Amino acid sequence: MMTLFAALASVVLGSMGKDTPRDRWLYGLKVFAEFMLIGLVLGWILYFVP
Amino acid sequence: MVKTERLHAQDVEPTPGSAWLIGAAAWFVPGLGHLLLKRWGRAILMGSAVYVCFFAGMAMGGHMFDLNPSPGSSVLFQIPPMIGNLGTGALYIICWLLGVGFNDDPEQAARATYEYGYIFLIIAGLLNYLTMLDAFDIAAGRKS
Repeated sequence: MMTLFAALASVVLGSMGKDTPRDRWLYGLKVFAEFMLIGLVLGWILYFVP
Repeated sequence: MVKTERLHAQDVEPTPGSAWLIGAAAWFVPGLGHLLLKRWGRAILMGSAVYVCFFAGMAMGGHMFDLNPSPGSSVLFQIPPMIGNLGTGALYIICWLLGVGFNDDPEQAARATYEYGYIFLIIAGLLNYLTMLDAFDIAAGRKS
């Protein structure tokens, strides 16, 4: 579900973010990677929080 | 008005009326704003992202919000998520008219995906607000 959310949000943000198609692809991939990374890090932090 | 402000005000072109119509269409039907602007790629990508998010939220058993508070709650807590839900435009209105997704059903609330579902429904609305703003900016000539 986190992956689905990250994919959908990065599609929208990437589509409207930059000027050239190449920059949009790169920006979308970057946003996707950031969502995934932050989600996984927060998930592991919260796993250890009682 | 000082001179610099007056010069700046003269530089700003008024927003064309069609941009407001495009914005309204983009809000009402996700993807329609870009379709009207003949931005096929963006219309398919951004519109389908909103639809997938919305229907995924519904499939997860998500709940949508209106101004009828659940027992023991305040109407003030309903307004922020309702604004998010309202972003889906016609999808929200159709569900509201049909009463789909608005019931406080204990069985639905007990589903493991219930909370994910209502977040997905809110996210769908927020993504459509972004789509709407993008279509508006393109129609107003502020963006290519």
